[in-house]
Amino acid sequence: MTPPLLRVEKLTKVFGAGRTQVTAVDSVDLASDRGEITLVMGPSGSGKTTLLTMIGCLLRPTSGRVEIDGLDITALPAREQPRVRRTLVGFVFQTFNLLDTLTAEENVEVALNIAGIKGAPAAARARALLEAAGLAGRLDFPAAGLSAGERQRVAIARALANDPPLVLADEPTANLDSTHGRETMELLRELAKGRRCGAVVVSHDERLRAIADRVVWLEDGRVTHAEEAQAAAPVRRSAARGGSFGSV
Amino acid sequence: MVKGWLAADHAPVERMVPVARRNLFAEKGRFAMSVAGLAFAVLLILIVVSLYRGWSRTGSVYEKLPGDVWLAQAGTIDPFHSTSLLPSGEQAQLERVPGVLAVLPVYARHLAISTRKGRRLDVYALAIEPPRAFAIPADARTFLPPRGRVVVDRVLAGEAGVGVGDRLDVLGRTLTVAALTSGGNKIIQFAFFNAADGKALLGEPGQVSYYLLATKPGADLTTVGRAAAAAVPNSEPHTSAEFANAFSALVSAGFLSVVGVLVGIGFVVGGAVIALTTYTATVEKARDYGVLKAIGAQGGFVYRIVVRQSLIVGLAGSLVGILAAAVAADLIARWVPEFVTDLRGLDVCAVFGGALLMSIVASFVPVHRLNRIDPAIVFRA
Repeated sequence: MTPPLLRVEKLTKVFGAGRTQVTAVDSVDLASDRGEITLVMGPSGSGKTTLLTMIGCLLRPTSGRVEIDGLDITALPAREQPRVRRTLVGFVFQTFNLLDTLTAEENVEVALNIAGIKGAPAAARARALLEAAGLAGRLDFPAAGLSAGERQRVAIARALANDPPLVLADEPTANLDSTHGRETMELLRELAKGRRCGAVVVSHDERLRAIADRVVWLEDGRVTHAEEAQAAAPVRRSAARGGSFGSV
Repeated sequence: MVKGWLAADHAPVERMVPVARRNLFAEKGRFAMSVAGLAFAVLLILIVVSLYRGWSRTGSVYEKLPGDVWLAQAGTIDPFHSTSLLPSGEQAQLERVPGVLAVLPVYARHLAISTRKGRRLDVYALAIEPPRAFAIPADARTFLPPRGRVVVDRVLAGEAGVGVGDRLDVLGRTLTVAALTSGGNKIIQFAFFNAADGKALLGEPGQVSYYLLATKPGADLTTVGRAAAAAVPNSEPHTSAEFANAFSALVSAGFLSVVGVLVGIGFVVGGAVIALTTYTATVEKARDYGVLKAIGAQGGFVYRIVVRQSLIVGLAGSLVGILAAAVAADLIARWVPEFVTDLRGLDVCAVFGGALLMSIVASFVPVHRLNRIDPAIVFRA
């Protein structure tokens, strides 16, 4: 039987020791497959971001394991972790985290450079991704000069640059107005359904339930309940954006 | 699946996003100040070194004179520190030494020349007396003026306020400036007299200062010198190159340590400028480096950005500094001739290489800071 794209087992993270000890994530189990969007919701301080950080190989768990595409990333030595982050995982952040001194195209291209793809092939792929994100007219714009919605679309294009099987999104709509939030939801849905990526989205935003295949509720680091969505509601397509990630 | 993951990296192809250049040029003011700071350090280093080189070559005038071996009084250290007196009339004896082509008595001493403004200049004066049958090499004729004329170096001319055709009072005699030569500096200036004037101004009756021996082609200077010294009691030989190097050694003894300290300070200041710029830029861009690490950059990828930034500042600062030094050396030569400069290609290359090396070393300063950047910083709002 094919293992799921993402399998999280008994994942635990404890910070501090003694009286200051805090268990941020406590024995969390999670599974997600290609084409699925898992939405992790919960109040502030519930451990959502810590969970995402561990799945993204940015933080070592205290115990438990995370498997992506059959690879136990928690067993990897520290020097191998960057490789996981550039090939198996794509990140989408609440604050976009673009490099402001670079253009939109360069922000995507640099992710390809990190994976060893350089020159014309990198530039061509970066352009194709940005065109699919509806940013064909913004390729040479400095990242700092883009609107919040455009910045998030560049960030999503960057996350997909190295064609990762899994995308991790941290509050992707939190800094966006309703229009741009909807566009971002649409892109996330496209990358899950069109590209057959798995996605784990951490958010407070109830609107994201509309695109989720599964909703996991986290409280005090524990999964309190999980629900399978009946059917993901269609997201109204933005007229301003053309193209599709599915073909890139 | 795991195999696929391992094979996911691709072979390097070509151009990469110039993150380092973008970071530097995004802060144009700071970049300009860093380049200016390093350029100033390189300018100071090169000017100090070129002044040292310029002064060191002062004695090279000895290699232009029409002879190869100087017979001096025993115990003579060099022409500038010692007074040499030898008996006159030894020419015939010396001409019989194998390998000697001609013998030229030389009258030399330090003397004071008063300027029009009343300043007394310390001048090293020489008068060379060639035998009538001796064919003086063309490039040495300048130093053997006709009677009543004097040849002075440009620094002396500038200090005394005279040019070619002007008159110069020397110990009560009025001589006309026949030509200007190079060779003088702030410490010492040269004047060359006709032998007849020299005898009167510099000589002691029955004595000469040196015998300058012109040798036959292929003659061994050491052998000729030893034989000549054996022919004249209480004498010792020195080659023209030794006398030429004597001033260089004098400058080295007096100034080399100072030059070394100044050059060292220059490099430290330049290095500090680059290190400070690179460190500040790294601290300011800590989040960007965190983002790069978060999306999979290894430490080497991030560190190369910092090294490139450092090298760009080093390269730009060095080139501007070298250009400024070339212009400054030229202006100094025109406006302050007593500060003789000699900007050599090898010194420029060494300083350029040193500055680039300094840039690489300076880029180590923020390494610890870079290593400490936690890629999880990207999840902090």
